[in-house]
Amino acid sequence: MQDQKTEQRGPLRKRLLAALAAGTLALSAQAQFESPSEGVYKDRVDWGVMMDLSGPASGSQGIWTNGFQAYVRSINEKGGVSGRRINVLAEDSRFNPAQDKINYEKLSTQTPVLAISGMGSSSSQVSLAPTIRGGKIPIVGTYTHTKPLSEPTSPLVYGGFCTYPEMAKAGVGYMTEKLKIKSPKVMVVSIESAGGVEYAQFIADAVKKYGGTSSLVTMKITAADVTPQVLEIIKQKPDFITIYGVGNTAILTMKAMHQYGLKIPAFGISYLMSPQIYAAIGPEAGPNYNVISCFTPGGADQSAGNKEMMAAADKYNHSAMKEDVNYVAGWVVGQMAVQALQLAGPQPTRARLVEAMSKGFTVNTNGLSAPIVFTPTDHDGPSRFRMIGYDYAAKKYVSFGEFADYEKYMK
Amino acid sequence: MLIQVLLSGIALGSIYGLVALGFAVVFKATDVFNFAQGMFVAFGAYFAVTTINLLGLPFPLAVAAIIAASAALGVVIHIVLIQPLSGRPMLSVIMLTIALSIVMRAVIEILYGVQSRTLSTPMPTGIFLVGDVRISQLHLVAAGVSWLCMAAFGAFFKFTSIGLLMRATADGHEAALVSGVNVKVMNRLAWAIGAGLAAIGGLFLGQLQIVSPELEHIGLLALPAVVIGGMQSIPGAIIGGLLVGLIEQLSATYISPKSSDILVYVLLLAILMVRPWGLFGQRELGRV
Amino acid sequence: MTATVLRSGAPRAAAPSPWRWLWWALAAAALLYLPILLTERQIFGFRLSNMMLLNIGLSQVNLMLITMLGALSLNYLTGSAGLISIGHAAFYAVGAMTAAITGSQWGWPFPLVLIAAGLGGALAGLLAGLPSLRVRGLYFVLSTFAVHYLVVFAFMEYQFKFFDVVGVPYKNATLGSWTLSTPMRWYFFLLPLVIVVYLLLRNSLRTREGRAMQAMRDHELAATANGIDVRFLRLKAFAFSSAIAAVGGALYAYYLSNVTSEFFGIQFAIQFIAMIIIGGMGSLPGAVVGAAVWLLLPSIITGLTAQAGDTTGLLRSVLVDHKPQLVQAIFGMLVIVLLIFAPWGIAGMATRLKARLTAWWSRS
Repeated sequence: MQDQKTEQRGPLRKRLLAALAAGTLALSAQAQFESPSEGVYKDRVDWGVMMDLSGPASGSQGIWTNGFQAYVRSINEKGGVSGRRINVLAEDSRFNPAQDKINYEKLSTQTPVLAISGMGSSSSQVSLAPTIRGGKIPIVGTYTHTKPLSEPTSPLVYGGFCTYPEMAKAGVGYMTEKLKIKSPKVMVVSIESAGGVEYAQFIADAVKKYGGTSSLVTMKITAADVTPQVLEIIKQKPDFITIYGVGNTAILTMKAMHQYGLKIPAFGISYLMSPQIYAAIGPEAGPNYNVISCFTPGGADQSAGNKEMMAAADKYNHSAMKEDVNYVAGWVVGQMAVQALQLAGPQPTRARLVEAMSKGFTVNTNGLSAPIVFTPTDHDGPSRFRMIGYDYAAKKYVSFGEFADYEKYMK
Repeated sequence: MLIQVLLSGIALGSIYGLVALGFAVVFKATDVFNFAQGMFVAFGAYFAVTTINLLGLPFPLAVAAIIAASAALGVVIHIVLIQPLSGRPMLSVIMLTIALSIVMRAVIEILYGVQSRTLSTPMPTGIFLVGDVRISQLHLVAAGVSWLCMAAFGAFFKFTSIGLLMRATADGHEAALVSGVNVKVMNRLAWAIGAGLAAIGGLFLGQLQIVSPELEHIGLLALPAVVIGGMQSIPGAIIGGLLVGLIEQLSATYISPKSSDILVYVLLLAILMVRPWGLFGQRELGRV
Repeated sequence: MTATVLRSGAPRAAAPSPWRWLWWALAAAALLYLPILLTERQIFGFRLSNMMLLNIGLSQVNLMLITMLGALSLNYLTGSAGLISIGHAAFYAVGAMTAAITGSQWGWPFPLVLIAAGLGGALAGLLAGLPSLRVRGLYFVLSTFAVHYLVVFAFMEYQFKFFDVVGVPYKNATLGSWTLSTPMRWYFFLLPLVIVVYLLLRNSLRTREGRAMQAMRDHELAATANGIDVRFLRLKAFAFSSAIAAVGGALYAYYLSNVTSEFFGIQFAIQFIAMIIIGGMGSLPGAVVGAAVWLLLPSIITGLTAQAGDTTGLLRSVLVDHKPQLVQAIFGMLVIVLLIFAPWGIAGMATRLKARLTAWWSRS
């Protein structure tokens, strides 16, 4: 009997030892997994960012990058993902589309990265679309949306900023309901650009559902005075207007309307939200101006995500930026990137990351936006909105309702 | 409606005229086509943000500080960069001013960050209502101050002895040297004036919209203004600025916003073909 | 005995051909191996770090070659014919627009599109050069400044009218059956093209007409007195240089596969002037060097500042948060220093250095 037991124990022990050895080997293999040609090393992962860090667009894109870097830094301080810290390689597009072609090559082969976030230039997206779609590097969280890159849905590309069609629907729906209008007459005030024309079309589609009409008036991006445009507004007498462009577009329009005694409510696209813009518009004209946004800027509510972002911003010397919508947008894409990286597992490669993301995943931003849902066919990005205004007395943002309250406008 | 557009055109044009005047003074005195004039405008706006909003100086003191700082900047740039290049081919000097504007922009972005800044001054922001016409008080102040500066400089050049010396120096360097005029000082004075005027323009433009390095592009509209008016002519620069402002607003209202840029440059081209020395300039003999 | 024979200097005149051939062979080998080096990023199995390759990639080199066409043609115009123009971005735009019409709209094959672009550029150059009949110097520069804005406006209108607002697409860069689909293929297409253009311009300067042009540049009155039709020559020079720039523009459009009017802004125009000044006006090799410096130097500076490593505090704030601005500032200052201390550009410095070395060599 005893001999039998010893005999049975023998192979069992051997098997246990073998399993233990295999397990240790596997673990150490995991800890030592690296793929330098894709930016994955033993202790760090290289992650690329392509944005305008200098030049005219840097006012918003530079801040976005700071938000992204801040979130990544906060994660690194907690140990990173799977024992690796995330090293952000931010390449400057310098407002030069050819530069992005150079930057993409750099991030593919010269200083390879696992994935790229940002891509703030529409022209670059269109120009690089064939290369990106036919390549291997995933783009996680784009700053702007262009058809050639995003349609048809590619497993490599994931949107990271507020989507325009839903923006138009939410804005038009909210204003129509709030102002209690039957068939709204809407004017789009925009800079002369491709995006402006497209946005005006989305507004027109949204307005049609309510039986209203819409029209478009444009201005130069470097306009110093908008008297001609305001005179057009006076002529047409819209129920409300919406503004597409850069900060100046909103500031000049609101101030000029105030100068002419017009009290027409206006809402700007999600990009046009920062304390500077509100301060420049001034407390007299400001209350008429709101922003339809998929992100919640710092201080606009007390969600966990918001508090976390504000604390980090103060810690990393970004206090001046935390109330800028671009900062929170970058932060959220940071969350997107980290959560995607976690999905890729402890041995991430570009292929594994793409595979994990394309199955579909939801980004939880802890209240900084509605949950961002990616499905195998929908990679558009944050598509739930709410209107945000500014309280000049309290010097804080005010959010009108929750994201869920705007669901009804999405049909 | 038309009056409204004309008024806004005059207001804007006055600011362009101011910047163009600074440009013309520099060109007349030192023969330098200063592509960095737009950045001087931006610097003026940023000086304003520093003195008024960051340091909180009382407004009159702040304005004095802005003008002094810009003038000093102009002088420094002349000493360090322009003087060593005197006598060099024009293209080199133009390229120098372009490189200078690149450096200046980078410095602003490093010192103040890439975010744009708000400028809030005690200047009035309300409106006057005259019948049906609304006049922005800020526009009025801007136009008024611009005209005051331009008149002051007109008087300075015509009636004071230093002004006379500057004009003499601009007309003939060698003759001035021979007469014992300190040409270097005259040139530096010209650059100080050019930078100072641009700074005042920046102060108003920054208040009218927002302070960012993009103000440079608005400042660059002073270039066609100066050429149309006449590069060697002080009143020409002012009239040129007004013309550009009016054309911009009128065409933006009655044709289309895009057309305003084109019309200005078409006019520029036409002037260059028909009357290259500008509306008020003097025909230059033997210029090859 | 042998030493004295050597000293008498005869060998210098009959420059040792073997050395020249070796030099050319090495240069050719380097140029041929460069794209492989930049793509593989290793030599004989030894992997090179990014900084060893000066933070440069093949796309950059290709873009540099395309822009070099502009630098060469502008140099030809300015340094040789004495006309200064800020309109070169406009001619790139004209080339892109012609390519859009003939290629993207009418579907012509790529080589024909390039020829059409060249012709379009020549025509535009003829028109743009007309003010030169009336004005000179600074005023002519300003007329090209105005032309620039007008052409870019025309491109924008064209783009909005015929194409998607996102930009004008360019497809099918194929030569017969060979598609230019990878950077390496582009390189092997662009390099011979640039060399051909260089030789074309250089030889054109050596012809009778070329010498006439340089005479015109140096002293117009004397040239006219000698029976040279100055005005006709000037227009011809303008047309020729614009044609080359337009071809460059078409190539630029196809390389990026999508362009908008914003690509051809005033910054784009200024860069050509910067290149010829840095390289040295009037010197074709200078244009090559100038283009290389202007396009490659920012990447090199960026790479170097990245090496500064992990620092904290003020230094970190400047180096990390404001790295792009720092690069711009350094770059601008380098240009300024060059302009003040080396007005004849790098080519000028090289010539001077060579002269000094030669003098030292023949003295010793």
